[in-house]
Amino acid sequence: MSQALAVARLMIAEGIRMKIALVFLALIGMVILGVPLTIKGDSSLTGAVQSFMSYGLSATAVLLSMLTIFMSRSLSDEFVHHQIFLVMSKPVPRWQFIVGKWLGMTVLNAAFLACAGATIYGMVYYIKSTHPPIDNRFDEAELVNEVLVARHALQTKIPDFSDDAELEFERNLEQGLYANAGDIRPDAEKKRLAQKHEARWRVVGPLDARVFEFENVLCDRSKGNTIQLRYKTEVTQYAPDEIFRGAWVFGDAMKGTREYPIPTRHVVGRYHTIQVPADAVADDHTLLVRFYNRNPYEGERQHNNVIEFRKSDPVEILFVVGSFEWNFVRLLILMQCKLMFLAAVALLGTTVFSFPVACLTSFTVYILAGTRSFLTEALDFASDDYATMFSSAKEFFVQSFTYLYSTVHWIIPDFGYYDAVETFVNGRNVSLVWVLQAVTELVLIQTVIVLGLAVLLFHRREVAEVSF
Amino acid sequence: MAESTLPVVQTAGLCKTFRDFWRRPRVEAVKDLNLEIRPGEIFGLLGPNGSGKTTTIKMMLGLLYPTRGRISVFGKSPTDVRVKERIGFLPEESYLYRFLVARETLDYYGQLFRLPRRVRRERTERLLDMVGLKHEAKRRMGEYSKGMARRIGLAQALINDPDFLILDEPTSGLDPIGARQIKDVIRSLGKKGKTILLSSHVLADVEDVCDRVTILYGGQQRAAGDLSELLRRRDVTQITTPPLSEATIQQIRQLVTRLEKRDILEVSNPRVKLEDFFLQIVEEAQAANIQTSGARGGGAIPEFLRKPTEATTEGLVERLVEASAEKPLDIERAVPVVIPSKSEPSREVIDHLVESRHDESDGSDQAVEKATPPGGDGPADSSADPPAKRSADAGVIDGLLNRSDPSPSTDGDDEP
Repeated sequence: MSQALAVARLMIAEGIRMKIALVFLALIGMVILGVPLTIKGDSSLTGAVQSFMSYGLSATAVLLSMLTIFMSRSLSDEFVHHQIFLVMSKPVPRWQFIVGKWLGMTVLNAAFLACAGATIYGMVYYIKSTHPPIDNRFDEAELVNEVLVARHALQTKIPDFSDDAELEFERNLEQGLYANAGDIRPDAEKKRLAQKHEARWRVVGPLDARVFEFENVLCDRSKGNTIQLRYKTEVTQYAPDEIFRGAWVFGDAMKGTREYPIPTRHVVGRYHTIQVPADAVADDHTLLVRFYNRNPYEGERQHNNVIEFRKSDPVEILFVVGSFEWNFVRLLILMQCKLMFLAAVALLGTTVFSFPVACLTSFTVYILAGTRSFLTEALDFASDDYATMFSSAKEFFVQSFTYLYSTVHWIIPDFGYYDAVETFVNGRNVSLVWVLQAVTELVLIQTVIVLGLAVLLFHRREVAEVSF
Repeated sequence: MAESTLPVVQTAGLCKTFRDFWRRPRVEAVKDLNLEIRPGEIFGLLGPNGSGKTTTIKMMLGLLYPTRGRISVFGKSPTDVRVKERIGFLPEESYLYRFLVARETLDYYGQLFRLPRRVRRERTERLLDMVGLKHEAKRRMGEYSKGMARRIGLAQALINDPDFLILDEPTSGLDPIGARQIKDVIRSLGKKGKTILLSSHVLADVEDVCDRVTILYGGQQRAAGDLSELLRRRDVTQITTPPLSEATIQQIRQLVTRLEKRDILEVSNPRVKLEDFFLQIVEEAQAANIQTSGARGGGAIPEFLRKPTEATTEGLVERLVEASAEKPLDIERAVPVVIPSKSEPSREVIDHLVESRHDESDGSDQAVEKATPPGGDGPADSSADPPAKRSADAGVIDGLLNRSDPSPSTDGDDEP
């Protein structure tokens, strides 16, 4: 490996002395330092920090991805300027040369990412100490408890409505409600009925209550610790003040925990967080939470007094599992894993193509990886629609693209799945399992496959070939 | 033991065809080449532009793969990395990294040979010294002139003390000092028993150092063989003497006409080689300590490149000084006499001259030797010559002409 390390060191020297790396670093610096001046968020301290981190980290990810692709020019230049003639006339196994280049790019990326990370970290604390009003303790507590922290999130257990759906289906059948409905597929109908029951469950009328159960709440229940409830409610029609009145009760007396009633007056349509003592959690790590709708009831259900907990905005329990700093480190590792894969793709491209073509190919892979979930879903949908038809050029194109994509998508990772910026910005835990999954899938499997392919193609290539 | 007798490079029916994007054959760069480079020889690869020299070299290095035929280096495939451990390569252009300084460049290539750090450091310093760029070792390669980069290119080719050195147009872009130095290195390595492949357009360079050559044209081998045999003129005999008077020359003419029934074709004073004259000027400038930011004369060839028995071999500058101090023959005043030869070079006249000298030798120490230019370009080791030849002096001619006092013939005033 000594020769690979020599190649890597050369790559690093080139990266540092290369103007393009400096330009990119300056660009990242400008973005990171410029974001606080241009983006104000929702004027709260938490909003300012979250906006800064979100834009800063996203911009860093994009710029470093571009830099990674451009850095592959190093290999291309070796061919163009024939330096590869000298290197390959030395006893350097070709796989070591490719791995050396990749290692060099990876180390450079890690260094740039560390620089960007350190700047972002410093800026967060700068904003925290300078954002007006400086002495707003509530804002600062919100920032510290909800953003500068690593919290694990648990969603409420949704009751199983399949029995209710089954019963209703049988009842409807007996009543002959499906007689004129043509071909009713029982499974689909039961599914629809279950969804209807769940939708009803999500709605809480005035003076009504709803119970939310959480399992595996593995938090530190010692005195002084807190857990958080995060929720968002909607109403069909807003009341003039947009305020809804409710009450939350945490704890289960049946399981010997203390109960904590907390009345609330919250604005609808926004997320709210309630701090609760952690000893509300039972010994079996379950937490019972009850919600009471205290909106005024004037004899009938009105649109503005019926509360809905939508499926897209689930009720969550959050509790601290780690520090902001280590959470940040794990986020940067996730970003680095993506860059490592991208470096391998860029090298593969440069091994086969000239730099402009390789660049274009790498950008395409980057975009495909970033939109993989969307693409897969869209193409699944499209191919379902066109599965039996080939009647137009558009259908033919969609089908062809679907086949092509399904052929290559196994090698293209889902960058969206490993995008942890939003999770991090919301003070959620970027779990170690997530990081290990990224290391395994992105680096140990997909990067190794791509690098192997690059080595194979480079091995077959005549480095001094003349093309006409 | 078997390896030492194996050809270093052997090709059989070697062909290389370059193809276009659609895999259609476009250029047949090398055609049916059968080549053999033997261990320890300095082999010249000659040919005009596009004759296939560089393509052949690239195939030897595994940078190109043959289309047909076989090629082996040290008995193995050129793509075998173990083979490359024994090869040093100076390409036709110095393909070096512009962002590295000279010292880093050599260290990098040393790392590719997995040389230990201490060895790399030592060799780097010695090679920088050898190519005369130690004082510019901290400058980036991008700032180097072509000639300076070429010198670093040579240094990197030697960093691993190669058994087989491939030099593609090694003197291209070099000043005469550098060119001479490269030839010195080639000769030195040749004496050490290294195998050297020299591809060059500068035929004088090839002629100076090569044992055997192959001439390519259109990718095919047109001529091959021992250089001295290929270049030997069998229709002319040349005798080089100290300056002769017109009368002496006339008498020699008569002698040659009488004995050989032919006339002398040409009697002239040879010119000193421009290379030697140039080096003399530079030597004087260096002696005067005139500052330069360019390459300097260069130091001794590093110990690790020298033959153990020639540990005291001096570098270029020392050799120049030594050669000018010895001055075995005043080349500017020497007179070559060219006599048309019969089918074989006639030894009769020479023998006659030598015999006459033995008869009438007065013990003068004015030795007649083979003309040796000040730079030591020719065979400087006179001990290799036969004793009679070594002791021959200008008195031979005088004796032949029945002169009692040979000294006037060496007088510059008597020169034609």
